[in-house]
Amino acid sequence: MKGRALGLIAVLIVVAAGSWWFLTHRGGNAVGETIQIYYTKAADGTSEVAWPVSMRPPVAGESPAEHLKNAAQYAALQSVIGPAVDVQAVRFPAGTRVLSASVAGSTATVDLSGEVKNQPGGTFGENGEFKSLVYTLTALPGIDAVQVLVEGRKLDSLPGGHLELDTPLHRADF
Amino acid sequence: MNSIRRSIARTSSLVIAVAAALCAPAMAATTYVFDGRTVPIATATTSAGKAAISVRDPGLAQLLRALGASMTWNPGDRYVLFTTAEPQIVSFAIGDARYDVGPRSAQASFAPYELNGSVYVPFDELLSALYVLPKRDGATTVLQPQLASFDVRGAGAGSTLVARAGVALHPRLVSDTPAQVVYAFDGVGTTLDASRTIRAPGIRSISFAQSGTVRAPVTTVTIALQPGTTHGRPGSEDGRTFALAIGGGAEQPPAQIANAEPTSPPEVTPSPEPSAAADASVTGVAAHPGASGFTVDVAVAGDATYDWHRLRDPDNRFWVDIHGARLASPIPDANGDDTVSAVRVAQFDADTVRVTLVFTGPKRLDVAPSATGLHIAVYPDDAGDEVARSGNGTIGTAAGVALAPSPTPSAGAWKFGAKPTYVPTNPRLIVIDPGHGGSDQGASRGGTHEAALTLDMAKRLRDILVARGWQVTMTRTTDVDVYKPDDSAHEELQARDDVANQAGARLLVSIHVNSFYNAGPSGTTTYYSKPSDVPLAQAVQATAAARLGTKNDGIVKSRLYVTLHANMPAVLVETAFLSNPDDLAKLTAGDWRQKLALSIADGIASFAGTPPPTSRTPNQ
Repeated sequence: MKGRALGLIAVLIVVAAGSWWFLTHRGGNAVGETIQIYYTKAADGTSEVAWPVSMRPPVAGESPAEHLKNAAQYAALQSVIGPAVDVQAVRFPAGTRVLSASVAGSTATVDLSGEVKNQPGGTFGENGEFKSLVYTLTALPGIDAVQVLVEGRKLDSLPGGHLELDTPLHRADF
Repeated sequence: MNSIRRSIARTSSLVIAVAAALCAPAMAATTYVFDGRTVPIATATTSAGKAAISVRDPGLAQLLRALGASMTWNPGDRYVLFTTAEPQIVSFAIGDARYDVGPRSAQASFAPYELNGSVYVPFDELLSALYVLPKRDGATTVLQPQLASFDVRGAGAGSTLVARAGVALHPRLVSDTPAQVVYAFDGVGTTLDASRTIRAPGIRSISFAQSGTVRAPVTTVTIALQPGTTHGRPGSEDGRTFALAIGGGAEQPPAQIANAEPTSPPEVTPSPEPSAAADASVTGVAAHPGASGFTVDVAVAGDATYDWHRLRDPDNRFWVDIHGARLASPIPDANGDDTVSAVRVAQFDADTVRVTLVFTGPKRLDVAPSATGLHIAVYPDDAGDEVARSGNGTIGTAAGVALAPSPTPSAGAWKFGAKPTYVPTNPRLIVIDPGHGGSDQGASRGGTHEAALTLDMAKRLRDILVARGWQVTMTRTTDVDVYKPDDSAHEELQARDDVANQAGARLLVSIHVNSFYNAGPSGTTTYYSKPSDVPLAQAVQATAAARLGTKNDGIVKSRLYVTLHANMPAVLVETAFLSNPDDLAKLTAGDWRQKLALSIADGIASFAGTPPPTSRTPNQ
């Protein structure tokens, strides 16, 4: 009886170790050498267009989780500055910066500078800006939601705004 | 439009980097000066003889502000990301000598490293990406802004010259004769080629000269004109660029430079007039020197075709034209190695991007499409005489797809929404929400405020609906906040939903006016958030599109508070754009606002029919 119990414990240990290895090494969650950045067409304010951006491979000592976080930060910056200046895109207000980005579970948190509050009014810009940000971040493996912060704080909505921002945004929200 | 686009001279950040290396001052005991002011850089040091600077250096922060740049780095971060004024991102990472400037990757002189809770990054490479060249002036290091690019965009019978620098450009007209026009740029140095003969409409040549002192440089640009050519006044998009339109001359050069190899560094700025034929986008070119060869990866978003050509030894140039493509953003030239001496990328014509490589000999070569675009491998060994001189193919990639919003999303995609079994306790009641009001006036343009317009349209809609037998409640009937002045967005928007939710209304319509930073966008859009909103949104948008004379922007799903938290079918109608002159004229016309109210009322009728009789049992 005691031997069976020990055997069961050994099996559980092997299963747990295998699960840990699978979750931390599965290739499907690895950030590739190219990440997709999205912008919203100004022509209609809704269509998303993606362009690939080269992503630095992990450096020595950079875990998959840290690499995902770094990719999220890089992608968020790319999304906020948008495509080339002559591309007619819905863009974040001038001067908007990404203060930080992090990933917890399947949610990326992006902290934007206060300039993001300088919206032009109307739903058009606000919707297009955050839609492209959400599409960009959720294009990264394992991320399906984006929590937006402004100067480190959650906001119900931008001043005079329309979008609900105090809970994570998903692609299905747009 | 038949346009040609050629660069006449450009110095890339790599060129500045090389110049910086040559001019690199000893980091010890030097004072930094930028724009005539001392910059309190305190941490500049050397790493293997190369300049390094701490990302926590207050002088660096001051310099970035002066250059319109910013940094994203927090303690513990491995990545250090700079956003330039251009804007493009400059990316460094601890322990990795690779750094990225926009779409281009390069190797820095050393890998960034941690020291004393900070990160030290290659200073010269960072400065070059910011278009700044450090120059020694006695015991002082002058951080001299550079005129970093000067491009020619040819179109039809004219050309446009576009210059860019890391600082604001203040062009000074020195002379203006029929033969030439001369501009001086005070405070800016240059490493651009001294002189270049070009073939672009209206222009014979352009030359550059730097004078002045290290601290007060002056770059003079002389533009020799074709006979009879006129030019416009200089303009700027953002203060850091200089644009000058050159008119057509009596003797026009060929409108195309077909079959002519680029003889100058390529243009790097996208054309302002995109070609409809260019569906693909070249988003980056990464060059990888290596002992086993030199590889170039061209990132292409979308579908395109390509053909490549190579010349015979001793002229070992190679180029590949990517047809149906445009440069997504400027791509600087890159220096090569023992196999490939130079890499250039240019928008050859309106819908062709040309990548040119200069081999150091008759090298063996492979060209093939890849998962992300096009892969070019140049090997160190020489090819035989029978080697192919040209080839072609197709680039197909999953990248670059345009994802149109789904008009009828599946129910499984919804996270929130009205209960499918929602039953209005008052099926005769419609709630109208005039957007904004009180302490929040919404969008404004020239004294016209969104809050006033929405209230007017809401009242008109109310009157129509009441005449048709509906009960109507408005969330506000005057210019007030619904909850309280200066409340939070959550409080204010929830208060509007509460009016409808607590009354058990049949439906909610929120009326708004759109706006944008520029006059481009226009039209009418109906936003929704829940599956139960969709039929109402479609009905309202259909009548609006048919009658209002505005652009039909369709129905759009979004996570809007007011529609999301309404228990009943709810829509937010963005009636027109205050920022668009045509739409503004409509919004400020009473008869158009009446038409708008009538179209919404008819949309409601299409969705909900006629008001139920008072004795009717609520059923929906």
